[in-house]
Amino acid sequence: MAKIDLARLSVTEANKLIRKYGAEGENVDVLNPDAKHHIGVGLVHPINVRVHGSAGYFCAGLSDGARFEVENNVGWGLADNMLTGSIVVRGNAGAIAAVAIRGAEVIVHGNIGSRAGQVMKEGTLLCAGNANFMAGYMMYGGRIVILGQSGEKVGQDMTGGTLYVAGKVNSLGTDAKQIDLESDEDDEIREMLERYQIPFNGSFQKIVNAGEKLHYSRNEPRSRSQSFFMASGTSDYWNAKVQTDIDIKAQIGRYRIRGYGATRALPHLADLAFRKDLSQIPADGEVTKKIDLKTEIGARNGAEPIKLSMPVMIAPMSYGALSKSAKLALARASALSGISENTGEGGMMDEQREAADQLIYQCLSGRLGWNIHDMQRANGLEIYISQGAKPGLGGQLMAKKVTEEIARIRGIPAGIDLRSPSRHPDVLGADDLVIKVEEFREATGHRIPVSVKLGAGRVRDDIKIAFKDGFDFVELDGLQGSTGAAGNEVLEYVGIPTLSAIQEAMDALGEVGGVEEMPVVLMGGIKDGLDAAKAIALGAHAVAFGTAAIIAGGCIACLQCHVGQCVVGIATQDPEHEKRYQTNVEAENIHRFLEGVRWQLATIAVAHGYDDIHQLDRNDLVALTPEAAAITGLPYEPGYRDTKPQATRKAS
Amino acid sequence: MCGIAGIMYKRNTMDAGVGNALIAMLDGCQHRGPDSTGFALYHEPQPGLLRLRFFVGDEERTEDRITRIKAKLAEFQAEIVDESRDGTTYRVQVKFSGDLKAFSYAMEHVAKVVSIGESLDIIKDIGGAHDVDATYKVDSFEGSHGIGHVRLATESDVAPEASHPFWATGFADIAIVHNGQITNYWKMRRRLEKHGFEFNTDNDSELIAVYLAEKLSNGISLRDALEDSIEDMDGTFSFLVSTKDEIGYAKDNLAAKPMVKYEDDDIIAIASEEVSLNRLFPGKPLNTVEPPPGTFNTWQKSI
Repeated sequence: MAKIDLARLSVTEANKLIRKYGAEGENVDVLNPDAKHHIGVGLVHPINVRVHGSAGYFCAGLSDGARFEVENNVGWGLADNMLTGSIVVRGNAGAIAAVAIRGAEVIVHGNIGSRAGQVMKEGTLLCAGNANFMAGYMMYGGRIVILGQSGEKVGQDMTGGTLYVAGKVNSLGTDAKQIDLESDEDDEIREMLERYQIPFNGSFQKIVNAGEKLHYSRNEPRSRSQSFFMASGTSDYWNAKVQTDIDIKAQIGRYRIRGYGATRALPHLADLAFRKDLSQIPADGEVTKKIDLKTEIGARNGAEPIKLSMPVMIAPMSYGALSKSAKLALARASALSGISENTGEGGMMDEQREAADQLIYQCLSGRLGWNIHDMQRANGLEIYISQGAKPGLGGQLMAKKVTEEIARIRGIPAGIDLRSPSRHPDVLGADDLVIKVEEFREATGHRIPVSVKLGAGRVRDDIKIAFKDGFDFVELDGLQGSTGAAGNEVLEYVGIPTLSAIQEAMDALGEVGGVEEMPVVLMGGIKDGLDAAKAIALGAHAVAFGTAAIIAGGCIACLQCHVGQCVVGIATQDPEHEKRYQTNVEAENIHRFLEGVRWQLATIAVAHGYDDIHQLDRNDLVALTPEAAAITGLPYEPGYRDTKPQATRKAS
Repeated sequence: MCGIAGIMYKRNTMDAGVGNALIAMLDGCQHRGPDSTGFALYHEPQPGLLRLRFFVGDEERTEDRITRIKAKLAEFQAEIVDESRDGTTYRVQVKFSGDLKAFSYAMEHVAKVVSIGESLDIIKDIGGAHDVDATYKVDSFEGSHGIGHVRLATESDVAPEASHPFWATGFADIAIVHNGQITNYWKMRRRLEKHGFEFNTDNDSELIAVYLAEKLSNGISLRDALEDSIEDMDGTFSFLVSTKDEIGYAKDNLAAKPMVKYEDDDIIAIASEEVSLNRLFPGKPLNTVEPPPGTFNTWQKSI
């Protein structure tokens, strides 16, 4: 039995030791814990860890297989995302005990705080005392056993799983109902109580999902496929898009869901031009050899940075919204072009990990597909707060796409209209976020970067918070960003344009002295190397391609991503449709597109006489419209539109 | 976006190590707010004397500001009995017995007031608990109770005056610290402004101080005022309030912001996280309680 004294060691040092003892199979005693955060985070060995006192936030979080015992209380987020193993707490637990667990047994002898078991998938939370507000909030599976009172709104918006309450049920949450208990369930609970030596001779009330909010009541009719081009229309008032929306609403009586992003005209990078007359630049097939486009990102806190052959990434898109074949094409293309791929929401696939050279692993509010093992094999971690297409809202994945396999990876019931939570269970402010980021760093030994994905809303404030919270970089996503499914009005009107986003971000970083320290990766409607170069000139450290990469890989832009019957096999989980997708061919297509981007970036930088792409500067740009000038503060020079065409030609 | 802490020693004393206790608790949760740190401390009241503290900056115009403050004090026949310059502030103790609200609004119009009270002294500045202590010597402060705050600025500036605790302008000896966001801020502020109350910042936490002060000045008990606040305020909040002889807390109905309390025969201590409480008792597991959503409580100094 090894002893680790937290009066002498920092939690980071202690966790390193705990992992070392874990690998050696030696049990650990933690002394003088004094309610410190992150004790035992990231442990993946089946040892016993005994905490002699109270632990703070995320005790045993992001762990798999260990058996923990805490002699006194624990703070928020007990056993966060714990896969297997167990933890016994002799005292009380703070809010969101057993958040997002995926199989563990979590035993609390005292009381538990609010929102216990939020977004849990599998396993058991057993509370011998009283629960608090919204126990079982948005749980997807597993069971919560409460021997005392349930607290108000028990089972609020639960999707799956079961709650058993022995004491008073104070009130049921929305979409929860009380039903009778089967005798074998009762036996199983009593067996567990006996195993953990908790005396009990009462009886249980069972609470499950009532099934009223799992599906939209009416499905959208299949509409005539209308291309993005058509939907962009010419009039803002009455056009084909407006007509389609009204038709659909008249049939379903609710907002319409669709794929892609805003189709209305917005100020964008095309409203800027380079002062340099790029039309006079001779085509040079060798230009990429004349400049080093290599970009590293994420070393702000000493982690191993993401290594990119050019300042370009693949934007986060999920396996779920996209088919496995499409995700693999993106992963392969990213490796071929020496850039990074991103898992998006919904977990990492083995094949994807293998195919991508640099892979960023995204953590969303529902913690769908999130686990310690994939964290440890990622090249970067990313906390998704929001996205440009629908800032403030969670993801939507319609039932057609929630197949058995997708459901298994995500840890949710199959066949539901999945609406991810709009906020993280354990991030209710910038202060909580600090502790969450630290948990990720502890779980991965401070080895890989942690970034944040922000949809453009209150960019100025949000970027400053990201800077203060120590993120290694920010992925900033403007209103023109796309998604697999969202309400039409949200797509069109919520958020602010990509151009405003980058400007506000750079202004904010300037105010806190963070321009050089925290890189921003810009995305949201970036379609080619010219846009990318302008973004970099405005201050972005890199850009990410989502929609453009998908189109390069065969997307026909019909906006029907949400339906799940994508005719080219991209936005579908239907094997018949997916069969049509030729992963290798499309990977090559995406790769060729990315190489075109590389050529454009190199050409523009070389034309300016630069030997580093990041020498591009905002003074190289002018604004072609009054709006773009107002947004960016660049000089309004409409003359550049006519006299100095800015077309670049692709390398032959 | 912050961490909060408060402590009261229950036995009738004015010599407990409140300063050191608050420094330890705030340092324990400094990760929640590295931008600025503040303390509301309560001295033994001296009859007929008022304590005032002002932000005067530390640059050239400081002397002008102090001159203007002194002129205004003279106008109100407030006779200076003690004064000092600490960090970016000017502290003064005066003999005063007039209408406090009119006096403090008038003072606000000539300088940035940090706090006014017979007993209350608010100390707040940019930096961590130990930085602020180094400048203002909080560690030597002895008293019966106090509250404190660490701040991570989100919507307003990193500036001493945007830091907590907030004094309830115009009402002696009332201070609050707050973690969260009041979403019906403008609605409630306009209502209070219509009733003649003045606001000196756009910080939602100042609203809580003024809101409670209005209630108290109408003869409503602190307990009842806190109970009302949970219904009247929208948003997420965990806040602490202190007066000359009481401390209290209130927590919103959604329990979105953390709060843990520890109580024994000698003290009541409340903080955002148990790790702060444990700083008072190193190596000792504590019997703590997380107050449920939508609850409040107060503790009074025994007399």
